[in-house]
This record gives sequence, structure tokens and C-alpha cells, in this order.
Amino acid sequence: MRILIVEDEKSLASEIKEFLEKEDYNCDLAFTGNEASDLIGINPYDFVLLDIGLPDLNGLTLIKKAKEFDSEAYFIVITARGELEDKIKGFDLGADDYLPKPFSLLELKSRIQAITRRKFGQQSSIIQFGKFELDIIKKYLKYENHTVDLTKKEYKLLSYLILNKNRILDRLQLTEHIWGEFYEDDYDSNYIDVHIKNIRKKLSLFDEANYIKTIRGIGYKFESDL
Amino acid sequence: MKLPKLKLKSKLALFNALSKAIIVTALLFIVPWIVSEITIRETDNLLIQKLDRVTEMIDSLGIENYISRDNELKAFGSYNILKEEFISIEQISLDSLIDEIQFSQRIIDNELVDYRVLSYSLEKSGNNYLIEIGRSISTIIRFEEDMKRFAFLFLVIIIFITIILDLSFIQFLLNPFEKIVRKLKNTDHPTSFDYTEVQTSTSDFKYLDYTIHSLMHKIEDAFNNEREYISNVSHELLTPISIIQSKLDNILSDESLSDSDLLKIMDSKHTLGRLTKMVRTLLMMSRIENEEYLLIEKVGINNLVKNVAEEIEDKILVKELELKLILHSENIIINGNENLLFILLYNLVNNAIRYTQKGYIEIETSLENNKLVLSVSDTGLGISKENIAHIFSRFKNFTPHKDSFGLGLALAKKICDYHKIQIKVDSELEKGTCFTLVFP
Repeated sequence: MRILIVEDEKSLASEIKEFLEKEDYNCDLAFTGNEASDLIGINPYDFVLLDIGLPDLNGLTLIKKAKEFDSEAYFIVITARGELEDKIKGFDLGADDYLPKPFSLLELKSRIQAITRRKFGQQSSIIQFGKFELDIIKKYLKYENHTVDLTKKEYKLLSYLILNKNRILDRLQLTEHIWGEFYEDDYDSNYIDVHIKNIRKKLSLFDEANYIKTIRGIGYKFESDL
Repeated sequence: MKLPKLKLKSKLALFNALSKAIIVTALLFIVPWIVSEITIRETDNLLIQKLDRVTEMIDSLGIENYISRDNELKAFGSYNILKEEFISIEQISLDSLIDEIQFSQRIIDNELVDYRVLSYSLEKSGNNYLIEIGRSISTIIRFEEDMKRFAFLFLVIIIFITIILDLSFIQFLLNPFEKIVRKLKNTDHPTSFDYTEVQTSTSDFKYLDYTIHSLMHKIEDAFNNEREYISNVSHELLTPISIIQSKLDNILSDESLSDSDLLKIMDSKHTLGRLTKMVRTLLMMSRIENEEYLLIEKVGINNLVKNVAEEIEDKILVKELELKLILHSENIIINGNENLLFILLYNLVNNAIRYTQKGYIEIETSLENNKLVLSVSDTGLGISKENIAHIFSRFKNFTPHKDSFGLGLALAKKICDYHKIQIKVDSELEKGTCFTLVFP
């Protein structure tokens, strides 16, 4: 997978690059709209991460230009403005997803994966652990032939942990994934613990193994060799 | 603000009417006196003119024409039948000259008549003669009455005309002023001020209009600057926050970190998370102030309540509270911004949960006087009377709560104002709080 990161904040761009390269993506950097436009013209990208507030041209114009080049890249728009209008415009102009700043890099990765699954459909949608089967497209969890009854949030939480298996997910990352950017003014993530407790209880009905490991003070890790 | 009842226009008109009334009363006393003075003077002038003509005739025709030498009475008299006037000439033996006008009585045809009499002595052919010309008082009085009547009529007409003229002039004069007042009345927000200049030739009003315009511009600029400032600051803050967060994410993925380092980084992330929420909330508030949200979505109120209830369910469960929904049978549709309305209700319920340790939270929708009413009540801590006035202010927190920074209700109030929803709070300490929203 080849990704172009278009972000005028060099420091942020290089952090994203560092993270994505660890995840085995090939990344190019463009700090201005014109650089990005040139690169899109030359290279076939799978994804373009696009900061909408570029110094030289509006990010949305760049999407339009890219479409003119017949680029098949998927666009994930990043913005500090969080403007609804831009959000709508972004989707209209062919942006495939939208991330408000600040976002966690894991969330970015999960968005990329989601688009990949949706558009390429090449990965198997079923992930297995123990005798459990998680279908991330049909959104269910089964043990042998029994459906595990999970609430929407529990499902979301579990699948996020599984998709990032063997990696510590901190409470804030989990909160962000589940609740998104709610404008509540408290940042109490104890609720995550309650959900995890419930998930563990539901899984233990079928399988005694403890898949979700608590990392004290930080968060949780889904451990499995699958 | 309580306005006094009288307008400037009415005050001026009232003063105008009063001053006219005073003038009229004064004239009622003065006019008769003036008129009689004038009539006496006029009569005297008339008598003098007549005397001139009589002396002229005596000069040209000779005194004998009037008093013949054989006339024993040595006198001449003439009067008209109505006894309005008389002229008499008689020979007198007097040394001193007489030239006077006075009121006196004469007996004519055995009748006593009041006259204004001009007496004048004249020396002719060695003899002294006295000429007397009289005009009856009744004639004078009749003239005087006519004069008075005319004067009063004139007075009334003049006063009537001036009052009308004054009133229309005051109206005309104050018209620009009223326009300025109307402009101010129609301005409920610095950005909605109408900057069309008021046409006037009165420099004071021009100055007033100009001053109000320039002040309004200043207020509007200050207002816009503040909005822009908050909005820019929020934008500019989100990018550096994003950089720090990405760096922390990358550091966290380093497995060689010690546990204590991990905890420190988590702590930083936590702080950063609070900062993010705060900046986002401020940004949202400034965007509401900028009226960037459209209020055109149709939102079913019961659906909204159910969505919020679903979203917040886990918080209720964690605190072992009960969430009661009492919904109106009809899913009333309101116009607004669904996202904002969701945040409004979410914040109210979230706030209720935060300050409630046991009991229940109740969300009720109902119709009162044909208006949609939504209330969120709890059995929580309650708010003391002195604090109720400040609960919608930014950064006000009355109970220490480590994860809250007091923007939730300020945002809720902003969203209500933006949707023209009335928000009321009733609260009793230790019993609970009830927020009531009355939709327009």
C-alpha cells in the first residue's frame, strides 16, 4: 500500500509517516498542495491523507485535481477546523473519510483498514481466535455456532481490540473510537472498564481463556496468536 | 428597562399647547384694554380730522355763515338724528385757549347722551369761539365691540394655525430622530444593525446618527474580533495538539518503555485529551456565535431523546442510576440542527448523571400551551440559589470534579439561544435539579 501524506506541519507529517511505516505502509510526504499535486500526477497512490488547511491551495481543490489525473487514491481528509460544511463538501468531492484533529494514529490506521476492506474486499472479513469467529463486515461474534450477544458498543470495543491485537490500546484511544468526538466536557474513561468487564463476562461463558489483558494504569491489550 | 411614558415629540407638543394657552389667557386680559385704547385714539383722531375740516370751512366761508350777528344765542349746533355725532360752535368770552378731548355729557333734545368731546377755542374777528365736536360713546362702544370680536377671532385663528404648524414642524423636525430610535430598537445584536444613514439637515441628529454608527462599528468589530480570535486560537491549537498526540502515540508503541514511563505518557495523553475537548467545545461555541450551523433539519424529539438515552446508557449503568423516559405520545418534529440538539440534551443528561449519586434521571417531553417542553430532572446534589445565576457561565464549577471544566452547560445555553429555546433551571439542594427547555 502506498500512501501520500499531505500535511504542512512537518512534525506531524513525519510522526504519521513513522507510524504508518511501522505498519508496513509506504509513505511519501508532501508539505504543500503543489508538491502533492505533482506527486499524485506521477505516482499511483492507494491513499492520500490530506490536511484541508494547506498554505498554497485548498485541500478540496486538490481532490478535484487528483480526480482529473484519474488517480484512484482514496482520500482521508484531516482538518483542524472540524467544519460540518467542509465535511459535507469533502464527501461530495470524493473524500472517503474524515478525521478531525487531533486524532490518534491507531484511529487513522483503523480508518485506512476500514476503507481497504470496503473498497478492495480482498481481506477475509472473518477473524478467528480460539473457537470464536468475528465477522467484521457482518458485525457478529460467534462461538462455534452460538452467537455471542454483544451490545453495539461492546462489539465495537472488542473488534477494535482484535484488529489491533497484541498492541496496548490506552483508554483514551478506546474512548475516542467508541464515543468519537462527543462534546461532553468530562473525560472520564472508567466506562471503558465497565464495558471490558462485561465483554470478559460474556466471553467467559464460552471460553475460560483470558484474551483481554489489563495493562494497569494504561489500558488493554488483546492477546492472541490467532 | 422601564421607559417613561412621554416621548420627546409629545413633550414638545404639550409645551407648545401650554405656552399657547398662557398666551391666550394673557391676551384675554390685555386685548380689551388695547382695543379700547385704540378705539379712543382712533375716535380722537377722527374728531381732530373733523375739527380741521370745520376750521377750514370757517376759514373759507367765514364764521358768519354759522353764527350770524343777529343770532342771539351766538351759537351753532348740528347733530344727526341718531345723535351719534354733534358739532357745536359758540361765542365765548374767555382769555385762555382751550384744546382738549374728554368724556362728557350733553343734553340733546332733552336727552342726556355720553360723548367723547373735542373742545377747541378759536379766535375769529376779535371774538372767541368754542368749537366742540362730539361722538357718542355708544357708537364708540359699538366700534370697540366690533374690534374686540375681530381681535378674538383673529387670535383664535392665528393660534389654531400656529399650533398646527408647530405640531407638523415638530413632527418633521423629529422625524430623523425617530428613525434613529427605531434603528436602535430594531437592533438586537451588534451584527444586525442597519447602517443606512438617516437623511436630515439638523446637524445634531446627523452627529447623533454618525456617533451611533461609529460606536456600532466599534462594537461590531470588537465582537467580530473576539469571535475570530476564539475561532483562530482554536484552529491554531488543534494542530500542535495533534502533533503532540501523534508523538505520544508513537512513543507508546515502543515496547522497551518502563511501566513508570508508560504511566507518565498516559497521564500526558489524559491531560491532552482534556485540552482537546476544551478547545473543541470553545471552537463549537464560537462557531455557533458565528452562526455557522444551519437550523434546517427536522428532528423528532422522541427519537432525539431515545438516541441520547442509548448513547448515555452505560454511564447510567455504571452509576447504578435509573433513566426514566416519559415521552409525549406524538413524536413532535422541531426544526434545528440535529447534531447541536443532540449535544444539548446529551450535556444536560450527562450533567445530571455527574451530580447524581443515587436515584434516577428523568427525561420528559410534553406539550404545554401548544409548545413543546422537554425537561431533564435528577435526584442529585442540587444547586444552591446563589449559584443558579452562574451555572451557564463558562468555566464555573461549583463542586470539585476532576474531569470537568464547566463548559457543558455554557455550551448547552449557547445551543438553546441559537435555537431560540428557553432554558430554565429549578433546583433544591440535596433534592435535585430540573432543567426545562421550552421550544419556540
